[in-house]
Amino acid sequence: MNLTQYFSLVDTMARMSLKADASRYFFGYIWWVLEPLLYVAVFYVVFELILQNRKEDFLVFLMVGKLTFIWFSKSVNQASRSIINSRGLVSKANISKSLFPIATVQEGLYKQLSVFLLLFAVLLFSGYGISEAWLWLFPLILVNYIVIVAACLVCAFLVCLVFDFVVMVSLGTIFLLFVSGIFWDPRGLPDPAATDLILLLNPLAFVIDAYRQILMAGVAPDGWHLLGIGAGFGLLALGMVLLLQRTSRFLALKVLTS
Amino acid sequence: MTADDIQAVAPPADDGRRVMLELRNVSHSFHARKESFEHGVHRVLDGVSLKLLEGETLGIVGRNGAGKTTMLRLMAGIFAPTSGKILRQPGASVSLLSLGLGFQPQLSGRDNALLSAMLQGFSKREAESRLEEIREFSELGQSFDEPVKTYSSGMNARLGFTTALLTKVDILLIDEVLSVGDAEFRQKAEEAMRGRLSGGRTAVFVSHAEGQVKKLCSRVVWIEDGLVRAEGDPETVLRAYRPPPVAPAPGGGSPPRP
Repeated sequence: MNLTQYFSLVDTMARMSLKADASRYFFGYIWWVLEPLLYVAVFYVVFELILQNRKEDFLVFLMVGKLTFIWFSKSVNQASRSIINSRGLVSKANISKSLFPIATVQEGLYKQLSVFLLLFAVLLFSGYGISEAWLWLFPLILVNYIVIVAACLVCAFLVCLVFDFVVMVSLGTIFLLFVSGIFWDPRGLPDPAATDLILLLNPLAFVIDAYRQILMAGVAPDGWHLLGIGAGFGLLALGMVLLLQRTSRFLALKVLTS
Repeated sequence: MTADDIQAVAPPADDGRRVMLELRNVSHSFHARKESFEHGVHRVLDGVSLKLLEGETLGIVGRNGAGKTTMLRLMAGIFAPTSGKILRQPGASVSLLSLGLGFQPQLSGRDNALLSAMLQGFSKREAESRLEEIREFSELGQSFDEPVKTYSSGMNARLGFTTALLTKVDILLIDEVLSVGDAEFRQKAEEAMRGRLSGGRTAVFVSHAEGQVKKLCSRVVWIEDGLVRAEGDPETVLRAYRPPPVAPAPGGGSPPRP
């Protein structure tokens, strides 16, 4: 299978899955934006109305964090089961098993494009103007995508090896939800060294902070740091694609006999 | 589909015909769930050797659990043998057609047919151009656009068989698919298959229906306990495979069948 066929299959599988998914629900495609908004609403009620968060413009702050984090968490959770859930196709031909998580990522990307449009509309409506810094969105979204691809490939592989990893994956995304500064600001910590440490150790926290810097403060993120994350996760993703290719028939045996 | 490390040029058979695929001393075992088998290791095939010649239809018979499906999966390159070699003519495309698997249940018959064709190496446009033919031959009518999870096993078989038949693969591996479905379609499918096979296409045919094996196959292999018990013309092998009739016990009951 050459690269054109591979990506054509990825695109076809993603579109088919979106179509099948939409046909299951009464509100169909509306759920693409409705579900993330409901998540934001839940967090808003808890942190703003119940816990009395005093942060200025908390709703926009929360939306930027949550709507970008959800792209990561939903993709990883879905992709982790993608090979196991494709027993039908796995039993049909010797295809690279990376096809399934990548198709799930693609599906998430198509959904996320509409979520980004909604987010930008909310920002403009709330008085945040478009600045030159917005150009940084292109490399930032690309790096965010690469991080998601790498994480999805790793999780799909592990779940295929030992199904019990499914529990760890969902627990891991909840952990990341708490430590990535979705509903709290890493820059608001009393010790600046702690802020630096969190942004350094947690690439997701850096990416989410970068979205806020660009969209809310109109400031460019640290380009070298962004490049480092992109390169590191890019290499990881490439390595995982090769690993999934090499272990393709072993994984098929795992999927079809477990 | 690429065959990776199983691809190699098999030497010609004694009668000069090309060997499309050869199993050389192939064994296959896997670690099943601990509680299922002794020590968790399930040995399916044990030193099996056989050749598949160009243009022939090879029948495989054997009891449930004898290793027939595993053998087809090894031939298709979906599994790797634990030991031994599988040689295949370079560039020969293989498609495995099995019941119950091979489809994504949430997708429509049309989408599944499209995916199957693309997995066999067709471009999206080529695959789409075959969909109407697949719909007509499979006689699925309106159901062609409904999710496969709503299909009966007969409808499933019709879709699977038609998709594989109408996308021209060199080696067609058929697992039990022709033994379900209504009699009328079965006859139509048998005729279509005979037509294709007389065109020089090579096939391996696994079935419990002895009549079909006799009608369609030029040679038959009997697998028992992971070993080749007999190999030769259908009449002889099927006679050996069929247990001798047992005198009815007092109180009735029919003789056991394999």
